[in-house]
Amino acid sequence: MRRLASATYFSLPLIALVVLWAIVVRVFDVDPRVFPGIGSVVGAAVESIRDGSLINHVAASMWRVVVGTVLALVLAVPMGIAMGVSPGISSFFTPIFRFFSVLAGIAWIPIATLWFGYGFGAIVFVIFNAVFFVVTYNTLLGVTSIPMPLRHAAASLGAGPWQMVTQVLLPGALPNIVTGVRTGLGFAWRGLIAAEMIATNVGLGYMLFVARDFYRTEVIVFGMIVIGVLWMLIDRLLLVPLERATTERWGMVRAE
Amino acid sequence: MKSLTLKNLQKTYFDPYSGTEVTAIRDVSLDVGPGEFVAIVGPSGCGKTTILNMVAGFLAPSGGEILVDSRPVHGPGPDRGVVFQSFALFPWKTVLDNVAFGPKMRGIGRPEREASAREFLELAGLSHAADRYPNELSGGMQQRVGVVRALANHPDVLLMDEPFASVDAQTRMTLQEELARIWQERRTTVLFITHDVAEAVFLANRVIVLSGGRVQTEIEIALPHPRSWDALMDDDGFKALSSQVLQQVRAA
Amino acid sequence: MSGALQFWNARVWAPYIRATARWPWLRSIVPFLPLIALWWAVAEAEFVPRAFLPGPVEVVASFFTLTYKGILPEYLSDSVTRLALGAAVGIAIGIPLGLLVGLNRTAHRALWPILLFFQAIGDIAWLPILLIWFGFGLTTMTLVIVYTVLFPIVLNTVLGVRSVPFDLHRAARSLGASPARVVWEVVLPGSLPNIMTGLRNGLGYGWRALIAAEIIVGTSGIGFLMFDARRAGSVVEILLGMIVLGVLWYIVDAWILAPIERATGERWGMVQRR
Repeated sequence: MRRLASATYFSLPLIALVVLWAIVVRVFDVDPRVFPGIGSVVGAAVESIRDGSLINHVAASMWRVVVGTVLALVLAVPMGIAMGVSPGISSFFTPIFRFFSVLAGIAWIPIATLWFGYGFGAIVFVIFNAVFFVVTYNTLLGVTSIPMPLRHAAASLGAGPWQMVTQVLLPGALPNIVTGVRTGLGFAWRGLIAAEMIATNVGLGYMLFVARDFYRTEVIVFGMIVIGVLWMLIDRLLLVPLERATTERWGMVRAE
Repeated sequence: MKSLTLKNLQKTYFDPYSGTEVTAIRDVSLDVGPGEFVAIVGPSGCGKTTILNMVAGFLAPSGGEILVDSRPVHGPGPDRGVVFQSFALFPWKTVLDNVAFGPKMRGIGRPEREASAREFLELAGLSHAADRYPNELSGGMQQRVGVVRALANHPDVLLMDEPFASVDAQTRMTLQEELARIWQERRTTVLFITHDVAEAVFLANRVIVLSGGRVQTEIEIALPHPRSWDALMDDDGFKALSSQVLQQVRAA
Repeated sequence: MSGALQFWNARVWAPYIRATARWPWLRSIVPFLPLIALWWAVAEAEFVPRAFLPGPVEVVASFFTLTYKGILPEYLSDSVTRLALGAAVGIAIGIPLGLLVGLNRTAHRALWPILLFFQAIGDIAWLPILLIWFGFGLTTMTLVIVYTVLFPIVLNTVLGVRSVPFDLHRAARSLGASPARVVWEVVLPGSLPNIMTGLRNGLGYGWRALIAAEIIVGTSGIGFLMFDARRAGSVVEILLGMIVLGVLWYIVDAWILAPIERATGERWGMVQRR
């Protein structure tokens, strides 16, 4: 019941915005090539659903994100844990991963298209990059912030290396890992849209960019709404609860 | 020094969880004469902090009046200084700047207000901490700063909300003695909230026992000043008064 | 094996630790040396054609050439100026907006969902429509950066405002501060650590948005340098661009922004840092 109430509260201002949009376009008689009216956006939406193009674009974009993210996580987490175990190694490599975190995503687009050509490979590479470095850095950070007494306790209770990883290091670093995933996905999502504008012929970014050529603002606005809604769903329904669950459940506190 | 009068104070609020109106304060009338030290005690949840928040102006009463020297007051203001249980020092300001804050709000120039602040710090033995930040000080020292900051603004009335509850027992005794000493010198009008009966009897010259949102008893504390824990701990008069108050609180 | 480890610890590691204690900047630089060496080795070995992965030597040479020709400094200053301009506007709008939404319940209820939604759309997605409205130019790029920088700043300012303990508001009021003064004397300093975090995040995203905008829109700037080089098939300049970007942001973030963030938060005991 509370969730429904808070969901309503949440949508109210957005609905008000939509109403405002409808009124402004009417009253000021805005040129549809500058900004579309609600009707044409809805029309574009219906059309793209009907002819299947929306599904194509969304699927293409999401698939790239999933592949890139999974690949990155599979590599980043073990690497982060391995490096984090030794304080010496982790402090040595931290600057490198910080540096590459800075480049995460978009800056890799030119070289990605050169190495992988246009299309799936380049975009997945960009996404991989965005997630990989950030998650490795955060995993590293997470492992090093596990208090040494905890690791000692596990060792003196007979934990072997594998158990140490699965029972102590991984759970202990999990809040940081999840934060890293959230940040990395944020970069990845941006990188995805940007890369799709230049480097491919299917996907949400492409959908927006090609519509620009034909001044089809209703497609652009529709695409922007889809992007916004998709990210809100991913972030608010998946990532934030995950983040909250790991930190709150185990009563661990981080610096925001 | 000014007097503080509470006339038929009431406070009710709507509790969303039970869906009913809850009466926190039913009818409280109180006269604190100029220079008096009045302590309010009572069981947890009896409404003593609510009264203080209303007098301080943080909470609006549902009924009744609050008068400082027969002038009604609304909202917070420098005429009623407050000392908080959580100290509420500004962490980004030095001790000196914290103490000089009130005068700064009144537009007093920097050299003047800093000089005045230093005087007050010296009064409390805090001169050496003037350029430190609150988080560098112990809890006891922070609260000393809190008291000094309120006093440095020359309030008509000093309101203290369980000020020593967050401090360890020994420091608390020291702070109580210091407060008694400062009050003796300056004779500020004080309204002091606490759940610690011995503390109330030690500091006040009148103790109010609150119960069910009403004044249950008023007890005069006729112990001589200056007061110290060494002297009073075994004093029969003190022990008798303490147990009298305690009985009243327990019966509440 | 343990003999080799002892040797390593005594002769290599220990002196390194001592050196970094004396010269902390070493810690930021030395780790890159093996990386550069590795890069050089891989490029030399030509697992992939030289054109695909040039070595550090070529990149450094290109750095000097482009600097000499004045191209690199010009592009760099273009990029930095755009970022600074966009960031300044973003901050000027973001902090007051954050204060408003943080302090006023009605504003919060009305605007918070809208802020979250527009943040979710993301800066890049606005490019197509901005291009229609303002064409390929400075306005479009600046607007994208303003948009990007704005949200982390607003959201973090709101967080900061709401984390100022209520007792501090009350203390200030009972010391005679008017509500407006409370904002200036209590709320702003109290939210400063969070605002700094927002600024840091905002600039980080803003930097990336700038590059993307320059790639897609631009006529100059580092992003354009990289994309133009890509069109010409010249990997060297792309790598140069990336390194310049990385080094620049690393310097700004690690040596300017992070210390400020630390100084405000930790000094006042308001933030626990690892």
